[in-house]
Amino acid sequence: MSNNTSKTVTRTRERWLKARLDGRRGVLRAAVAAGLLDAPLILLQAWLLADVISSVVIDGQGLDALAYPLAGLLGVFGARAVVGALRSVLSFELAARAKQELRRDLFAHLIALGPAWARAARSGQAAHLVADAIESMDRYYRDYLPQVALAAALPLIMLVVIFPSDWVSGVILCVTAPIVPFFMVLIGKGTEALNQRQWRRLARMSGHFFDAIEGLTTLRLFGAAQREIAVVADMSARYRRDTLAILRLAFVSSLILEFVVTLSIAMVAVYIGFRLYYGEMSFLPGLFVLLVAPEFYRPLRDMGSQYHARMEALGAAEGLVAMLDETTPAATAIGSAAPSGPAAHLRFDRVGFQHADARTPLFEDVSFELTPGRTLAVVGPSGAGKTTLAYLLLGFLAPSRGGITVDGRDLAMIADAGWFDQIAWVPQTPTLFDGTIADNIRLGCPTADASALHEAARRARADGFIKALPHGYDTPVADRGEGLSGGQIQRIALARAFLSDARLVVLDEPTASLDPDSETRLGDALADLARDRMVLVIAHRLDTVRRADEILVLAEGGIVERGTHKALMRADGRYARLWSLYRADEAGP
Amino acid sequence: MSDWRRLFGLLTGQRRLLLAGIALATLVILANVALMGLSGWFITSMALAGLGRVAIDFFAPAAGIRGLAIVRSVGRYLERLVTHDATLRVLATLRVDFYTRLIPLAPARLQPFRTADLLSRMRADIDTLDNFYLRVLVPVAAAALSLVAIECFVAGFSPVVALVSLLGLLGAGVVLPLLAFSLGRATGHARLAALATLRTTAADSVRGLGELWVYRASAAAASRIAAQSARLIGAQRADAIRDAVADAIAGLLTHLTVWATLIVAIPLVSAQAISGPVLAMLVFLVIASFEAVAPLPAAFRALAETRAAARRVFEIIDAEPAVAEPVTPVAVPSRFDVTWQGVTMHYDTSPAPALDGLDLSVPAGQALALVGPSGAGKTSLINTLLRFWPIEAGRVMIGGVAVDAMSGTALRGLTMVVAQRTHLFNASVAANLRLAHPTADEATLWSALSGVGLAERVAALSHGLATPLGENGARLSGGERRRLAIARAILADAPILILDEPTEGLDAETEADVLAYLATLMAGRTTILVSHRPAALRLVDEIALIEAGRVVERVPRAAAARGNARFWRYLRLL
Repeated sequence: MSNNTSKTVTRTRERWLKARLDGRRGVLRAAVAAGLLDAPLILLQAWLLADVISSVVIDGQGLDALAYPLAGLLGVFGARAVVGALRSVLSFELAARAKQELRRDLFAHLIALGPAWARAARSGQAAHLVADAIESMDRYYRDYLPQVALAAALPLIMLVVIFPSDWVSGVILCVTAPIVPFFMVLIGKGTEALNQRQWRRLARMSGHFFDAIEGLTTLRLFGAAQREIAVVADMSARYRRDTLAILRLAFVSSLILEFVVTLSIAMVAVYIGFRLYYGEMSFLPGLFVLLVAPEFYRPLRDMGSQYHARMEALGAAEGLVAMLDETTPAATAIGSAAPSGPAAHLRFDRVGFQHADARTPLFEDVSFELTPGRTLAVVGPSGAGKTTLAYLLLGFLAPSRGGITVDGRDLAMIADAGWFDQIAWVPQTPTLFDGTIADNIRLGCPTADASALHEAARRARADGFIKALPHGYDTPVADRGEGLSGGQIQRIALARAFLSDARLVVLDEPTASLDPDSETRLGDALADLARDRMVLVIAHRLDTVRRADEILVLAEGGIVERGTHKALMRADGRYARLWSLYRADEAGP
Repeated sequence: MSDWRRLFGLLTGQRRLLLAGIALATLVILANVALMGLSGWFITSMALAGLGRVAIDFFAPAAGIRGLAIVRSVGRYLERLVTHDATLRVLATLRVDFYTRLIPLAPARLQPFRTADLLSRMRADIDTLDNFYLRVLVPVAAAALSLVAIECFVAGFSPVVALVSLLGLLGAGVVLPLLAFSLGRATGHARLAALATLRTTAADSVRGLGELWVYRASAAAASRIAAQSARLIGAQRADAIRDAVADAIAGLLTHLTVWATLIVAIPLVSAQAISGPVLAMLVFLVIASFEAVAPLPAAFRALAETRAAARRVFEIIDAEPAVAEPVTPVAVPSRFDVTWQGVTMHYDTSPAPALDGLDLSVPAGQALALVGPSGAGKTSLINTLLRFWPIEAGRVMIGGVAVDAMSGTALRGLTMVVAQRTHLFNASVAANLRLAHPTADEATLWSALSGVGLAERVAALSHGLATPLGENGARLSGGERRRLAIARAILADAPILILDEPTEGLDAETEADVLAYLATLMAGRTTILVSHRPAALRLVDEIALIEAGRVVERVPRAAAARGNARFWRYLRLL
């Protein structure tokens, strides 16, 4: 990436970050105002302090004569404490609102991207964005943004007061002040490029460590673990050297910066000293300026320490913007028609599907019909499009060719909500959400009463094991259903389907061998479910295909065979060949 | 407390560097305090001299001011360089130690951890520990040393002023941050928990997005996210308010200390116990001395996080391997029959035994297949043979020698393993293969590749054998990855062959190719095969059905194939 485009990218991202504040400028202004209020208080404090010292040293006054300025100082201290706390709290609220809203928008976008997108997406990345990336914005809104405004304003306010007190010091501060931001920018630029390189290195190192941990068992199997220690040691050492090299540069830059600031204050002190010596100014303003000088540089230096908050936020914005830029699929339902009563006839008419980035269609010419009480099983090698077929039926994807009709009406014309009312879906690995078992079964019908809930679980053959759990239906689902077997999770998902009383059930069978108990019960529950519903099942097991009213063999871009198990076996084609692979006794040794 | 002591203990070797850093940090604080004090004294004296009340030699103090400004800046640079160098060295050593301790823990002890979690311990948590050295140890030591020096100096003019300012400094630098730290512990936990829940909900929502759509539960999920985000922000708000108040009080305490200094010192000037310039100097000194304690609140604030990171790192370093190495390993056997005798083992996650007094033997050179439902104990059997998991009862033997009497490396040298989840490293094809045989020449690698039908594919890659594979072999298809893993296992060339679902997920044609090659490999080797694929089962002599950690049936292959229903239910079509 050329320097120029990377600059534009940074600028766009920063603009994006600031645009998140639209409608919340009031909070930002209030936070900055609280910060600005500190300036007159600092000046007043310095003046009162200088006045007290000057009165004692020059005019020889005692404590009793200084009651007013000393009491005034206490007042200023209190006011500064209040103003400071107020600024912190206001800045926090600014960030809090920005984060809450950003989270809402991002999540709404993720939902809108839809199941077809989620199939290829990494849920870990979504979790990182929703939780952590948005948290990395915190310091930007909270510290950096208010500080930018203050770094410009506070020194100016102080200069206005310093100049009349002592113009020479005013000039010294005036001349050196721009050096501070200049160096900040210089440090920022210099370390930015280096930092980016270091981040890449860090990512590479993390990747290697991840590999080295993930593959530990493999390394042990091959007796290669000791060799890997040497590699890890080497990478660690290199990382340490690189980090130090970057730090050294940053330290040199801040050395120059500190040097300028410290030396300027020293120069102010020495100049004031000499002007006092030659009687060119009086003690009170001199002392005042010396007390204010460090405060003059403080907001500028503070901004430097917030610089990495900006870098962090810009880095996090990259992932967020990319995610928010993903286009949501055109609504699958262009119409908003409600389905005319319970669906009784579903028809795929020469349906074809092609991925947007694929050169050839995934499959073409898929036609079938489905009526209540019938079960359609789809089999075929992985990658043939079995899940995509299910997604088309569910309305997650729109067909590239052909049509899907429900009772004679185009599926695309039926509103999503109306269609989803009619269907239940049991994916291969169902998701259990945070909540109790009951909450999870009630996913589609949050208002279902206990008897309906128990009936659904009974029919899904899940009632038995749920009751045996420590808290029965109120057992919280821990960490994605840990402690439940795959078969049990499937049956909970089936209970969802029973409870929602859908007309159409789409089921993706688990490929893993289940425990014998789950295996039989799942089969029974499925037969029960299929009794008066339309069922489309992506089949992986014997029982299921044997029971199916029709089997579609999906392979090489279309349906290569169809029929019942018996008919297909008789036909001695692809399906029968799959079976022959199955039948160990046929080939023999 | 012991966490801190351990962190301190890690300094061995870098102690000298760190002491130098502390000395420099102290010098920097003292230079700054001296600079400010001297400036105050200087301009007051110059003002009085200008008024003709005192005489002054102004060259020395003016030069002193400039000199101190230089000492402060350069000292700060050197201090940072030295302390960071020392800290980074400590952390780099710790990282290697961490990994070294991690190795014998795999896989049994690492089962409850996810790789991402272990990585974040090895990288982020260890990085976080720099907080202890850079932001706690050095500043606290430097603050303590410089405060002693400053207060001794001040006490020379007025012990009361020294006492007053010491109290203020301790209040702002120690008492207040400690108070905020102990108050912050509870909300710190709440914050971390809220963030973790938010992550889980977001991940689950994306994983189960289809279900959310179909069951029209998206709005409920969105409000769940909003509520969890609000809870997180609520916990942060408690922290923010507490920190804001603590900061305000710290500032107030600083100012009040200056104020108290005035109240105590002004009568001393009136009583001519100290001079006017000394008053100005004391005021400036006190103001500047707060710089010594300024970094402490932030350090204490990060203390909880640092300790949590340290505990996560030490948890791994302190973990005992599941199976101890024998003190005096015996020689490897010369026969290669494998026997399990009454073997019982548990996983921590389940009360039911994974193996329940299991008896099984495989004669040397024979092939046995294991079938059964998932969780029945097939992989556990293999884990006990490789001594990855401890057994509670019984014995596992190779050629009559108990596996726990051999050294782990020697034992695993007897086996070639093709596991369902064999890991491919993000390195070149050659590097992945040489894992099994570090000295293999290119010709050997090619012959292993052609054995699994991958030679042409690898030759077609941009850099041939040197082509990087990408994350977990992303460059290759699923079938190619499996075949490469097999080629690697082949290179290990050992007398016992372990195949754990070697063709799972391969299409029928590839499966046939791979199986044909495996068949040649099995000749003369003791083979244990776990598979539910009929084509794979055709290769073995016998099949054993495992259920609930026991062998429930064991028959010659031909018998199993002839429609034995108990076997059939586990076979899979696709």
